[in-house]
Amino acid sequence: MRIKHVVLTMAFGAFLASCESDDNESLEPLGAYNNGILVVNEGPFLNGSGTVSFISEDLETNEEAIFNAVNNKDLGNIIQSIGFADDNAYVVANVSNTIEVVNRYTFESEATIDEGLSNPRYFVAVENTGYVTNWGDTSDETDDYIAVINLNTNTVESTIPVELGPERIVANETTIYVAHSGAFGTNNIVSVIDAATQEVATTIEVGERPNSLVFDASNNLWVLASGGSSWPDPENESAGVLSEINTSTNAVITTFNFPGVEHPGFLNIDGDNLYYNLNNELFTISILDDALPTTSLFAHATTSLYGLNISNGKLYISDAVDFSSNGTLHIYDIDTATLENTFTVGLNPNGVYFNE
Amino acid sequence: MKYLIVILFVFLDINMSYSQQDSIFRLDEVVVSDSRLLEFSNGVKLVVITDSTLQRVSGGLTNALRYNSSIYFKENGNGMLSSPSFRGTGASQTAVIWNGINVNSQLNGQTDFNTILPQNYDKISIRSGGGSTQYGTGAIGGSIHLENTLNFVEDWINVLNLGYGSFDTKNFNYKTKYGSDKFAVNIGLGHVSSKNDYKYLGTDRRNENGEFNNNSLDIGVGLFLSSENLIKLQHSAFIGDRNFSGTLTAPSNSKYKDVNSKSLLEWISFKNKKVQRVKAAHLYEEYTYFANKDSDIFSIGKAKTFLLNYDLKYKVNNIVLNGLLDYNNINGEGSSITDVTRNLFASTFLFSHLVSKKFTYGINLRKDWVTDYFSPFVYALSGKYQFTSNYRMTLNTSKNFRIPTFNDLYWETGGNTNLEPETSYQIEIGQVYTKAGIKAELYSFYIANNNLIQWRPSSTSGIWSPSNIKSVYQYGIESSLSFQKKIKNNLIGANVNYAFTKAIDEETGYQLLYVPKHKVTTTVNYTFKKISIALQTLYNSLVYTTTDESQEVDAYFIGNTTLEYEFKDVFKSNVVLALSVNNILNTNYQNVAFRPMPNRNFKLQLNFKF
Repeated sequence: MRIKHVVLTMAFGAFLASCESDDNESLEPLGAYNNGILVVNEGPFLNGSGTVSFISEDLETNEEAIFNAVNNKDLGNIIQSIGFADDNAYVVANVSNTIEVVNRYTFESEATIDEGLSNPRYFVAVENTGYVTNWGDTSDETDDYIAVINLNTNTVESTIPVELGPERIVANETTIYVAHSGAFGTNNIVSVIDAATQEVATTIEVGERPNSLVFDASNNLWVLASGGSSWPDPENESAGVLSEINTSTNAVITTFNFPGVEHPGFLNIDGDNLYYNLNNELFTISILDDALPTTSLFAHATTSLYGLNISNGKLYISDAVDFSSNGTLHIYDIDTATLENTFTVGLNPNGVYFNE
Repeated sequence: MKYLIVILFVFLDINMSYSQQDSIFRLDEVVVSDSRLLEFSNGVKLVVITDSTLQRVSGGLTNALRYNSSIYFKENGNGMLSSPSFRGTGASQTAVIWNGINVNSQLNGQTDFNTILPQNYDKISIRSGGGSTQYGTGAIGGSIHLENTLNFVEDWINVLNLGYGSFDTKNFNYKTKYGSDKFAVNIGLGHVSSKNDYKYLGTDRRNENGEFNNNSLDIGVGLFLSSENLIKLQHSAFIGDRNFSGTLTAPSNSKYKDVNSKSLLEWISFKNKKVQRVKAAHLYEEYTYFANKDSDIFSIGKAKTFLLNYDLKYKVNNIVLNGLLDYNNINGEGSSITDVTRNLFASTFLFSHLVSKKFTYGINLRKDWVTDYFSPFVYALSGKYQFTSNYRMTLNTSKNFRIPTFNDLYWETGGNTNLEPETSYQIEIGQVYTKAGIKAELYSFYIANNNLIQWRPSSTSGIWSPSNIKSVYQYGIESSLSFQKKIKNNLIGANVNYAFTKAIDEETGYQLLYVPKHKVTTTVNYTFKKISIALQTLYNSLVYTTTDESQEVDAYFIGNTTLEYEFKDVFKSNVVLALSVNNILNTNYQNVAFRPMPNRNFKLQLNFKF
């Protein structure tokens, strides 16, 4: 009798276990924060900590300060951005001069990189190496660099000196491209870094203050520049420029000059369509078009636009409101130009990322 | 003297000690530089911190006021930048008045309360509520009055204070007063420095980069040219060298230097019922900020003020009339301000009427004309009625203003030259009950603040710029109960202050940042012959750090205690030895978010008087 029971129980247990493993394969429960939207909340300057908000893919749950909830510690001061490599996310804390390495699905802390960074901004990975733009001391215009991080040991192994104000950074399999917005000054170049030699191969001149850059399907790089600022000299104010770079030759093959003193920003790509923001309006241009659009897709009601991303026909906007209270995330359907969802996020949300 | 008899940390009430009798009237003119404070503050809450209390303060003016008033201080870490919130108003809405002159920074409109060493002043008065008619810009929440007094009596008094405490904190103060019936001189030297590297409780970290070193010199000279003519010269200099400490999440390597100099030359003529004064003053302020203290790159800002003031006062029976004319020439420049000059002309009329022994009222009027903005006409009305010998009521209402600062107007980039002054209307009702060693006070106030200047980023360019966009209102109560009793050789005194403050953004209905709803301070002192013990506590309720009340700094309760022993006639001087334990409960608290304040710490102090 007993044996029979045991065998039955074992058989039933094995059946359950096999069911579970089947489920595992289809759902891949890699962690609580797999499949969803991550919003980086910069946090208050000096007197506080930045946070990351998670909104599930089905938009049913919205959890604020997930790093703090999982690890019971603060993330750092002025969270500038998140970069991803394999299963890890690299959370860059600008004022703290740290990068928090977390499992991107569980947000469990794996390591903290706290040496070799000085005003770190953005992260990109090529193979097992991370590249982080650093402004250095902002009163020194000649100490800017790219920190090279060994992602196995999570240490800064070397630095690549670059020109003033390296900001956004992207990479394909072999090459890293850095947009130099100019930090507190101004600059108008993209640095091209060879991942094999870890040296600056060349610099490419684009518009003043390049603020965003994306690859298209044919591996051409599109760079959007804000244009010259009215400060400190109003006479230097100039309009933005959209440039297309052939990454084989590193030559600018297309240039679109914005009229007047328009300052566009937040370049994104979805298929063959480029999107950008200008004065709280969303514009689109196909990579095949030969002129900038004259009318926008629609205007969005944002108080203080601070972050923008586009995915699968949806526009995600993070709004810092008054910069001293919780921000909001707005999700618009681009085709119908309607606001579909609004979520409360943390203080000064400056970026929207998709954890897939 | 009766050094120990004077109660530790407890305020003496000015209302008991002054009147408008002629002799006092004249004495005030001679002794203090700001006799208006006494004469035209009827019906206004005024408390005085006396010399002996000031001598016992550790560190800057922040500490002198934090435990002894309802003013809340937002201190960016111990000894760092410290700005007041008086009755829930903003940092630039408390005016600091030095010997009758408004000395708030021309650059940012504020005073950093850690750049004033209180030990060199003979008294510090706290005047609650609007005082723009007399003291000009920024006197909205209230004003803090720093005074050096000149005593024309044959005497020579020296006071020397030496202190050493935790975190390598050293202080030194020396004050000498010499006088005759025709001549008086005061000299004060002050120094306080600290490594300030206290432990952050609950962590393995310390307060890094928090060192400070502050020095001050104060000089006062008075000379009677004749029985009807008096010349006075006051000078105050401050040099502060501080590193700015980091926070729990942000390391710091910055350094900040302050240089301040104030000089005042004053001529006073007395003729029967008429007093005339001419004042000429020069104020200089300069800051240098190094984001990286190891670098030689810095930013700088400085401002010079030249001020002329004519003051004519008549006393006819029970009426005092006072007319004032002011001229200010202010020049500012720095890394972010290109050489700008402002000329200001103001006329003020003050009237005070002692109707009967029971009833006094006053009317103040003022109008400014300024080169770079329009300044409103302001007024103040106040009255005091003594219902019984134990109970009186006060009532006052006023309109006040705060001018746009040089930073607001001319900051590159973002400064807005179209700004208007902030304005406030307020009303206050006070009740005071006194009886045999007991005093109870209750003041209720309401302040409406309009046209508040706020810096916001432009939606198109992203450049931060100020505009007159915000309206807020504050209401609340300030109450206190004090008690004092002497039984043979035992002297006991106790004091409780409680303030309730609502400071509401009209648009959102939320409480303003860094304004606690409740603040309670208590002091208890017991003296037996040569021994004295004092206990002081402070409770601050939570404060919000975001405009939607979504984040906060927790409430805290801290206590300090001091034990004193007096040695009489040691080398012809009186010596007081004091041992203080601050934060006795070792409370882990923050005053500004992510900036832990000091853990339990000790201080030994020697005070010589000869």
